[in-house]
Amino acid sequence: MLQHGPLLERLLAGDFICQVTDEDAFRHLSNEQTQQDINHYLRPLNRRLVSNDDNTVFFLGYFELNKAAREQLSSQFSLTVQSLLPLLEWLQLVQETLGRDSALTAGDTIKLQEFVLRTEDNQSLRHRLNQLASDRFFNSQSEQLDNQVKLIFRRLKEHGYLLQPHHDRQYYVVTGKIDYLIDVIRFIRDEEHLPVDDTPSQEALL
Amino acid sequence: MAPTDSGIASNLLNIGAERLALLGKHHKALMQGYLDGFIDETAFSEGALKKLIAARILWRPDEQHPLALRPLVSELIASMVADENRRQINADVAEKLEQIRNRVQAYRDAQFKGDYSVAELQLQRLTEHVHDLSGQFEEAIDSLWHRLNSDFGFVASLDDKIRENERAQKQLRRLLDGLDLLDFNELIELSEGNNHLRKLLVSQLQNQLSSHHSSLLEVQKRLVELLAKFRQQQARSMLIANMAAFLRQHPTYQPADYPNRSELPKLFNQAASIVPQAAIALDNASDRQSLAELVRALPRYQPVKLLDTESASFSSVMVDDEIAARQQALKTDVENFYLRVIDQGGKLSALEYLEQQALEWDSEIWLYQIIAEYQALPQDEKQMFAIVRDEAPASSMNQLLLIRDISLHLKAQGQAA
Repeated sequence: MLQHGPLLERLLAGDFICQVTDEDAFRHLSNEQTQQDINHYLRPLNRRLVSNDDNTVFFLGYFELNKAAREQLSSQFSLTVQSLLPLLEWLQLVQETLGRDSALTAGDTIKLQEFVLRTEDNQSLRHRLNQLASDRFFNSQSEQLDNQVKLIFRRLKEHGYLLQPHHDRQYYVVTGKIDYLIDVIRFIRDEEHLPVDDTPSQEALL
Repeated sequence: MAPTDSGIASNLLNIGAERLALLGKHHKALMQGYLDGFIDETAFSEGALKKLIAARILWRPDEQHPLALRPLVSELIASMVADENRRQINADVAEKLEQIRNRVQAYRDAQFKGDYSVAELQLQRLTEHVHDLSGQFEEAIDSLWHRLNSDFGFVASLDDKIRENERAQKQLRRLLDGLDLLDFNELIELSEGNNHLRKLLVSQLQNQLSSHHSSLLEVQKRLVELLAKFRQQQARSMLIANMAAFLRQHPTYQPADYPNRSELPKLFNQAASIVPQAAIALDNASDRQSLAELVRALPRYQPVKLLDTESASFSSVMVDDEIAARQQALKTDVENFYLRVIDQGGKLSALEYLEQQALEWDSEIWLYQIIAEYQALPQDEKQMFAIVRDEAPASSMNQLLLIRDISLHLKAQGQAA
């Protein structure tokens, strides 16, 4: 267990561990024996390892769902629900701004400067970014595009959706937490039978 | 027979060389034609156009259309520059097989007749056919790998990539079907009793085709994987776009209370964070050495001597005794003014007091010192006084506010508390 000390600390602190955030730790976590060891260790803390369906990201959940745990989960859930729209809009905005033909996935790199440059000269992108930045989730007070973008990316880094490999270089890597977000959306969609399609209609295929 | 043959051959050589030279001579204009899809006729002279048409390099698909490259020439260029948008894959094996059978027959006939030069020629043609057949697969496989390795980057949108991938998979299936047409028992039979044929049709061709077969299967596996990835990306993009649209349309939408379900969905089981804290412990003797080092490494605290900043701080830098004495006198008078305010309890104007007491200070310096003294008061004492500035704009054009007078009064005790 000693060798997993730093990993346990990250997990306990609420970090999501994926291949991008920590490749070695992720490899360890993918091993069933290690999972059991870690769960055994976490048992007195009322914690256990949880992963998404595809096992691309790991985080800690409660082992036993007592009252306090339920309360914490409720407030966590409402935060997650509040963050859905701003995060989705950000994903769309990045995809459109950078002219990508597919949505962001774990491991994709975003250069901040490129994003700013492309937004600068486009009124409609500029407008959407402005709105997004002032959303409660990002809560930017600035009117400056550069500051707004920096704040948005910093917030996403704080929330674990982005990783900044070098502190002084303005480029970011998308983490596996994005997969988690997509899984959450898909789950809600399926549970509540929302009219939200993710397969192209037959017409589009032809 | 031989002389005529060589006559035809030299004729072919001349014509072919001449026409190939045409390609080289007009390379830029022809390549532009390849890219545009039609030929800019003004780039050529009348004679050159005629020659190019006669050489079957250019043609006019119908009356209304401009001149274009013949399909075979386009294909040649596409293959040379690996232009996956236009590269053709020829999966027709049956025709090639038929030709091989005929050549084998012709070769055997010639041998039977003892006409060795003809037999030699037929064997050479047969070799070409066999190479063609193998080359056809090689070209196709090269094209498929090329498309795979570039992630179908030659088309822009994900939808196009999916379509291209499906097209490639169909081509691949045709190629595999073509390979199935090759019956090695038949080839063995064809080459029976002849070493040349056996080497060509059995050992060489079989070897090549079996390696093509495994390449094709590998490509197929990769294509299927890539298509799955494309589809996943497509689904993700659509989910993001449609969910965002749904949430925008239903701003008050609230999903069910999943965290309080008896069967908690694991995605929502996200525990609160625990940050382990640690402090220095002295119970472990062996650690003392390193702890002592840590303490020694701490930056020393060096108290910074702050200058006395009471009231008007500029006084402290003045060393001149006389000036210091005047400064002190001014301070004392101002303190008396404050004491009067406290005694009197009511509102007291600074300039009126100055006049009343017949003090000699310049009115501006007097007001300045009163404000300075007020600013220097501790916060709780400051709250005991209300300072009211009598100010007015410098002129109708200048919004700068000038202080004319200051009046002070004690605040009610209740307010002060």
